[in-house]
Amino acid sequence: MTIKIAHLYPNELNLYGENGNIKALTYALKEQDIAYIITNIDFTDPINFNDYDFIYIGSGRKIFLDKARQALEPYKENILNYLKQDKVFLITGNAVSIFEFLNFYEVTSLDNFVVGNVCGTTSLCKGQIKAFQNTEYLIKSTDNLIFSLDTGYGNNNTMLEGYQKNNFYATTLIGPLLARNPNLTKYFIDILKENQK
Amino acid sequence: MKIIAIIIGKIVLLLGKFLHRGSSLPGKIALKIDKNILKKFKYPQTRIIVTGSSGKGSTSTLIAKVLRDKGYQVCHNTNGSNLSYGITTALIKYSSLTGKIKADYLVLEVDERYNKQVIKYINPNYLVLTNLTKDQPPRQHTIDNVFQDVISCIPASTKIITSMDEPLLRYLEYKLPNEVIYFSLAQNKYSYPTQIFENLNATYCPKCDSKLVYDYYNFEDLGAYHCSKCDFGYLKPQTLGQNLDLDAETLNIDDDTIAIGGDTLYHAYNTITAVALLKELNIPQIKESINKIYQNHPSSYFKNKSQSFRYFNCKSENATTFNQALFKIKEDTDLKDIIIGWSIISKRYPHTDISWLYDIEFELLNNKQVNKIYVCGMNKEDLKTRLLLGGIPEAKIVVVNDIPDTKDSILSGEASKVYCLSHYDYGAIFKKTFKED
Repeated sequence: MTIKIAHLYPNELNLYGENGNIKALTYALKEQDIAYIITNIDFTDPINFNDYDFIYIGSGRKIFLDKARQALEPYKENILNYLKQDKVFLITGNAVSIFEFLNFYEVTSLDNFVVGNVCGTTSLCKGQIKAFQNTEYLIKSTDNLIFSLDTGYGNNNTMLEGYQKNNFYATTLIGPLLARNPNLTKYFIDILKENQK
Repeated sequence: MKIIAIIIGKIVLLLGKFLHRGSSLPGKIALKIDKNILKKFKYPQTRIIVTGSSGKGSTSTLIAKVLRDKGYQVCHNTNGSNLSYGITTALIKYSSLTGKIKADYLVLEVDERYNKQVIKYINPNYLVLTNLTKDQPPRQHTIDNVFQDVISCIPASTKIITSMDEPLLRYLEYKLPNEVIYFSLAQNKYSYPTQIFENLNATYCPKCDSKLVYDYYNFEDLGAYHCSKCDFGYLKPQTLGQNLDLDAETLNIDDDTIAIGGDTLYHAYNTITAVALLKELNIPQIKESINKIYQNHPSSYFKNKSQSFRYFNCKSENATTFNQALFKIKEDTDLKDIIIGWSIISKRYPHTDISWLYDIEFELLNNKQVNKIYVCGMNKEDLKTRLLLGGIPEAKIVVVNDIPDTKDSILSGEASKVYCLSHYDYGAIFKKTFKED
């Protein structure tokens, strides 16, 4: 069993230690003796979504969010097909703004960044979620939520945050999220193992 | 109101001196009395602002020391007092009761985000921009905010002194009408051909948005580069530091061998930056003054029996300053113990963001010459996780509460060198712990 991971645009969407999520995922895979391959995708690289089991994209400067949106929008059908196969797509921080074209959710663009410690829970895993927010975008959707927050900024002025559909997970939480929450990392690894069966 | 504010400020300054307490309280009180006081000072003919993400304190101090060595009166705010209160305190100190700054030169270190509030009053002849790197993410958010803040307020008549080695700063010449004077550290024996740091700012041309190609790197995204599509790229600057020798702590500028006052790349960059400005001021015999200032500077190390100890005063929430320390440590082939930790992240806000730990290349510590890594302070568990995820074997990582908890183990250990990477807060504790025996 080899888990194939794609990290989209790591040289550009790297605002807040985003690669910590990949480090946390691969560390946990190694702990379980599960082989993996990481492919770093560049803006000029063609993407064959069928080649991957886990795709990650993180926060970036506005110029690179725009470039990422332009690069990914032509792949809309490929992304939807990828998700139909229950494969995992994780989006953190302001990268949630890239994926409005999937028509799952809309985002609110804020005049000022919202910043602060995040504490909350999720039905995805046990225990407290510890994270951080530093974003100029929040998700508008009040359906398909991921996190219930004690502190932080939720969707649409609520204390509920994120968007999940199948194994598509979009959240404005950073941390890095997986590095700070090993239970959440385990949740994703369990899915990856299940998908390999 | 101005005169009252200055008089009260001077009285508080005097009381502070009497009580041996340096602070920015005089400026705070003066601003309470007259909030427009910065507008009302009569400034010297030559006004210099030094700003940037890091190095502005050391660079402005060196500039002020050289000018004083040449016999000039210099009004300079002391290291770190770079916000309104600190700046106003420095101005009060050098001001007459009518508000005339009694100095030949005004040299102000100014916080890069606060600069826009000060620069309109100072109207500097020179703006020295040391560098712009990722820094304090909860406050700065992205480099674009800082860049925009810095460039949006520079008067057209101000001459800018900045780094050719940093693509974003090279771009200033295209972006602004101002005259821009560049400095650079030439390729040297510490330069490297392939990037060793992750999560950097500059991978794309700021002019046309195509990929940048580097001929070599000096550190992070500093180096010589050119755009893969347009004419944007590194050009030979007006001030070039060559033949860097960190063992001898020297480099050459215009065929002069100049001391850099330390053995790291940032000592070199700070010195080149200061020289670039001093050349513009037509200060003669800069080399002589700098070599005099840096002669007999204290060693970075102190010894205790058979071990050498060194403290790196890194800047909290600034991965670049930690990377500079790690870049230096990686050159050391001796067996070493390393202490990493701090008791506070920021005095500005209550946030406990740790994302910046993942912008630090702790992976550089994953080698046989690193014996143990002690993590301590408020983020000790986060640091342990970061090191583990960086591939450091768990057996090498020791979690302790505070620096004194490492003492017995380090003093009885095998490592001949001991490094501490922290913020300002642990320097005294580190020295007290290991210097006393």
